[in-house]
Amino acid sequence: MEIHIRTTGSVTILDLSGNLIIGRSEESLRETVKQLIAEERRFFLINLAEVPTIDSSGIGAMIKSFTSVKEANGKLKVLKPSRMAQQLLTITGLLSVLEIFDDESAAISSF
Amino acid sequence: MQKPAQLKIVNRFGATRFLPLGKSVFTIGRKAENDLQLLSDTVSRQHAEIVYEDDAYYLVDIGSKRGTFVNDQRVERCALQHLDRVRIGGDEDQQITFLDNTVERASAIFDSHPRLTLTPPLQDRDRITSANEELQKLSRYIEVNQAFKFSLTPDDVLLLIVDAAIEITGAERGFLMLRNQAGDLEFKIARDNNRNSLVGNVFEMSRSVVEESFKQNRSVIINDSRESAALFARESVRSLDLRSIACIPLRRFQMSENMDATTMLKRDVIGVLYVDSHVVGGTLTQTSLRLLESLAFEATKSLENVRLMHEEQEEKQIEQELGMARQVQVALSPTAFKQPDHFEVAADNIPSRYVGGDFYELIPLKDGRSVFALGDVSGKGVAAALLAAMAQGALQAQFVSNLPLTEVITSLNKALVQRSASNRFITLFCAVLDRDGHFTYINAGHNLPILARTTGETEMLTTKSVLLGAFDFVEYKPRQTRLAPGDVVVMYTDGVTEAVNADNQMFGDERLERLVKQSVSLSAEQIKQRILDEVLSFTRGLPQGDDITLIVLKMK
Repeated sequence: MEIHIRTTGSVTILDLSGNLIIGRSEESLRETVKQLIAEERRFFLINLAEVPTIDSSGIGAMIKSFTSVKEANGKLKVLKPSRMAQQLLTITGLLSVLEIFDDESAAISSF
Repeated sequence: MQKPAQLKIVNRFGATRFLPLGKSVFTIGRKAENDLQLLSDTVSRQHAEIVYEDDAYYLVDIGSKRGTFVNDQRVERCALQHLDRVRIGGDEDQQITFLDNTVERASAIFDSHPRLTLTPPLQDRDRITSANEELQKLSRYIEVNQAFKFSLTPDDVLLLIVDAAIEITGAERGFLMLRNQAGDLEFKIARDNNRNSLVGNVFEMSRSVVEESFKQNRSVIINDSRESAALFARESVRSLDLRSIACIPLRRFQMSENMDATTMLKRDVIGVLYVDSHVVGGTLTQTSLRLLESLAFEATKSLENVRLMHEEQEEKQIEQELGMARQVQVALSPTAFKQPDHFEVAADNIPSRYVGGDFYELIPLKDGRSVFALGDVSGKGVAAALLAAMAQGALQAQFVSNLPLTEVITSLNKALVQRSASNRFITLFCAVLDRDGHFTYINAGHNLPILARTTGETEMLTTKSVLLGAFDFVEYKPRQTRLAPGDVVVMYTDGVTEAVNADNQMFGDERLERLVKQSVSLSAEQIKQRILDEVLSFTRGLPQGDDITLIVLKMK
């Protein structure tokens, strides 16, 4: 999985591409978010448009990232999850906690 | 400056970002005001600038302490060329590449972060001796055999083993060291208890404990280093203030016809699994030692599997592994459940090739109520199985002491969140059935059980609750329904619905729902068997990807 980092205003957008699964990819997400928090970034939008598959470890990385951002008094939201990812977020109950957007500009202006 | 050049910056985890050099002076340094802020200590607060002059970009060192480098040459002022590598001080965490404006951004991702790829097949197996190559073989073995949906690299497998060791012992750090060709131990994996890799080639640790374990081929466990100080007086245990240490030898073994268990144990030591912690207290119990030993066994077994495959003993090995996995799983499954008179129940757990984290629990309470629990711990391996066992134990204890469902689930969630270092989660469906058919349940992020009524209706049982171990601020609220005689509830894990066939199709929720609906008139045992048969015939020929666990409840 690759992570590309963009910034729009105060919002940091992480464009993920590839599967978010056990191993390096989930570690990379957690660590990148941690590093960006250290760089004083607070508002995160995780773009899942190019992520076909998420497994339970990937979900774990999302939870961990959400928690680290929350502890730093920031916000983490999710953009364009695939159908499968959306299903997974629904089943795991995370929809009740994570804010999900289908439109990038709407997501950005929601922060 | 129509289309500025840019810097491509890749961090050590492979995350890439592009910074346009859209100003005439672009500043780099440790202070936040810089256009590019680098946090390394080796970067000066105002370190360097990229200056745009006469259609060219110049990298200029502005009096830094540790220097500015282009393609590893120290520079004071240097015109940047497309693809030049820029290093600021000693900062190795960020790879910075200069991309000029004649190159499209898309094609600029010339060396993008490697995906999880597997090594190519090895040709000459006699040549293969080093530990590293062993790991490549493991990688290939997994590629060929694994029933996982995704490929894992050998390092990932060893990572999981070390993480599991840390998790089991509650240690702060864990290392896996392997013997190199010269016979010395080398660090292969170094992890902390947040599941992050530790950076470096050398770590402060108890050399004498490692040596004792490696040379003497025995497990060493120290619970309070002050007590055991006599044993290791010479050395760093005290100076490092390490309180708890465990070190387990990784023993080479070979399963072949003419070898028995004793020859196996005499084989040499190929490395060690080591965990330590500054915290005092009996975290490293005899039980965790035994579990560590089985992990070490798992590690060596994984390494050795590869060899076995090359020796074409694949089938035999898979059988052995399945046998082991089953042993673990059987040990975790609930003891025989006496069929009560108001309902019948059938349950099964079929572990996949690797021990997984599925579990189920059936608990009869004294007042005639019955508890049904079915869960799935994220991740695989011994650590997942262990957490499953812990969750089972907690459920047992709390229900038996008569706590209400909401309280049991809430406290289990809190306990899991507090262990947040473990970064593991449990999806759980848990229900309490009264004698009169009153069915109260909480579904914490688990696949929705199917309630099929004799009337032909079906219902999916959800409370939309978050999976356990994620957030301590969420509430778990139960829902209730009433089960009539003949009604069926099928609880299952994703091993059922996500079973994949040769065309890469999933078994799916709808198929299962249909099947349950058609089977309402059968007995619980028959329904369970029918679902398992259908999954088996659906995936025919393919290895089972995940644990399959199923509870079928039918009201009498």
